[in-house]
Amino acid sequence: MSAACHEAPPSGKKERHGSGADEEPARDASARAVVALVGRPNSGKSSLYNMLTGGNAHVGNYPGITVEILEGDVELPSGAKATIADLPGLYSVEATVDTGTDEGVARTFLDASRSRGERMTIVQVIDPTRLALGLRLTRELLRAGQPVLVVLTHKDVLRAEGHALDVSALEGAIGAPVLLVSTRDRSARAAVLGAIDDRLRVGVDGAQGRGNFDPARVASMVVRDVGEAREKARRKVTERLDRVLLHPAIGPFLFVGLMALLFAAVFLVADPASAVMDKVVGWGRAGIGSLLGGGLLASFLSDGVLGGAGTVLAFMPQIVILTVALELLEASGYLARGAFLVDRALRLLGLSGRSFLPLLMGHACAVPAISSTRIIRDPRERLTTILVLPLMTCSARLPTYGLVLAAFFSERSPLFRASVFVALYFAGILSGLLASAVLRRTATKGKGLPLVLEMPAYRIPQARVVVRKGVSAARRFLREVGTTIVAVSAVLWVLLTVPMPGSEKAATPIESSVAAAIGRAAEPITRPAGFDWRIDVGLIGSFGAREVMVGTMGVIFGIENAADDPSPLTERLREAKKPDGSPLYGARTGLALLAFFVLACQCMSTVAAIKRETGSYKWPALVLAYTYALGYAAAVAVYQLGGLLGLS
Amino acid sequence: MSTALASARIGTRVRIAKVSLEGEAAAWLGAVGLDGGEELVVLRRAALGGPLHVRTASGGEFAIGREVAEHIAVEPVT
Repeated sequence: MSAACHEAPPSGKKERHGSGADEEPARDASARAVVALVGRPNSGKSSLYNMLTGGNAHVGNYPGITVEILEGDVELPSGAKATIADLPGLYSVEATVDTGTDEGVARTFLDASRSRGERMTIVQVIDPTRLALGLRLTRELLRAGQPVLVVLTHKDVLRAEGHALDVSALEGAIGAPVLLVSTRDRSARAAVLGAIDDRLRVGVDGAQGRGNFDPARVASMVVRDVGEAREKARRKVTERLDRVLLHPAIGPFLFVGLMALLFAAVFLVADPASAVMDKVVGWGRAGIGSLLGGGLLASFLSDGVLGGAGTVLAFMPQIVILTVALELLEASGYLARGAFLVDRALRLLGLSGRSFLPLLMGHACAVPAISSTRIIRDPRERLTTILVLPLMTCSARLPTYGLVLAAFFSERSPLFRASVFVALYFAGILSGLLASAVLRRTATKGKGLPLVLEMPAYRIPQARVVVRKGVSAARRFLREVGTTIVAVSAVLWVLLTVPMPGSEKAATPIESSVAAAIGRAAEPITRPAGFDWRIDVGLIGSFGAREVMVGTMGVIFGIENAADDPSPLTERLREAKKPDGSPLYGARTGLALLAFFVLACQCMSTVAAIKRETGSYKWPALVLAYTYALGYAAAVAVYQLGGLLGLS
Repeated sequence: MSTALASARIGTRVRIAKVSLEGEAAAWLGAVGLDGGEELVVLRRAALGGPLHVRTASGGEFAIGREVAEHIAVEPVT
């Protein structure tokens, strides 16, 4: 499991592997030293990492969770080179922990680095407003004989709250060097790098700290209260905010409202941004057309490859915006409150407040959400969350929802369509929760770990850190999901273009294509759900990536650039007639298609992510089997029920 | 005279007397900062039997699941 976590790095990024056998040559004493940043979650580690490395090094992680071990190279004042490794949040190196979790990853890293005998120093980041808690880990690290440099971040907050900290007294008490900095202050960088230099020079043997101090006593000894009324009032900010935000009656309402606002904002901002991306792709197509003319190659590049790229780009704004919004919530300290508020509801279904962040992220894209489950300490709960995440309404489902609603419900009021949209979101959440309730009683049965979540103080997020996370979210989406979409789109173009051997010439080339033949073969199975070969082809195409559904339907119905402007396609869908003159699709086919899209895991990137996180083929296979079975059953049920109720 | 943390009154100061959980769970509580002797105040309870929000003397604030809180015995601090 731990091997899986460390081998996980997608290509193109430099990462440290758990095993010693990687591409780097063996390190000697003069080689690059390793500086491991460790600390409890919310200790200010991300900000320190950003300050030290400038943030533009080998980064690539997701909101609040450092899911991979990221490195940045720096030059120390002595001229030596060092690699700063940003380890995931860590509470303890003594308590037992599942190696698949964030904590397990951090500990595997420390153990591996030690056994390789690298020149390494640990920089432990502590939030000085919670000094006693941070010192528990310091004590464990010193007890284990690790060379530690303690960096206290949030100097500004400490001062603003009217506290003074005696750094040299703290150094004396723990026997390790201590720095007090503010990560908003850029000049602090040199001080931290200098201290790292000193620490590395002393080496492991000359740096034995005390492993037997009492964290609470030391903390109360070195922190003095120098605050006046104004500063003391500032300490109560978190308390006062919590009184409202966690109020038993108001809190949940504010929470639901905030989430609704978040999703509304994503669509409002993402729409114009997507339009710009589409325009860019349109220029590319025009360029290909004028360069290559109208041949088969031009069609392949334009419809197959660039069409797929356009689909990817259209999703980028949503992914980035949602990532940034979640990072803001996480860094401000509100997400932990959200977990507190929803814990009870999730518990009914075998999950807990810990699963809240991954489930929320799943509404942007399941792939980063699956990685983010590493914050869940309980292995069974983590697995359950991974297995139900594909049911959350990710942004890739939205174009299909939009197409179906516009095609079959255009005569209904906008309010009706909006409520169907919201209902589809809730259908995803509800089915996910039901699935988790079932899984917890069957496949992932067993006693769970108790819920203990740290509630961080409210803080103003740092813009640079948030921007960095947004950029790396975009990069990672391009790499992990984008490549799949482009590949699927290209393969689909081939299947839709190449004629089925031995088939007769049909009215349009597509009707005699390989894809159409496959679609027709599937018709007997999908007819109970109201799907014909055209929809089947779309579904087969979207097996790899559901994003390509709209584009594929556009090609089948002979409309260029359907992904850019869906309105002509909706008209064609609405007006398509069977040979006998009756409409090809009715509202109940539309509803059945929506039911299928809510449930089926039509995303190879998600399947690959599940394989990577669980280290087995069993779980991704289970996800494919159960979501497709549910999707098919729901589509048939909706179609048949619609027929009984007299829907067209 | 100890009672379960789950039933401690909101706003009163209590001290953890005993954590009666199995090894792994107890060690985890200790690691985050909730072990025997730690003083804390229950700030609030989430609705409908949800978790407790507590603040420890060492400055940390935690959400603790109700069933865990049943296994943490506390005594009043006078």
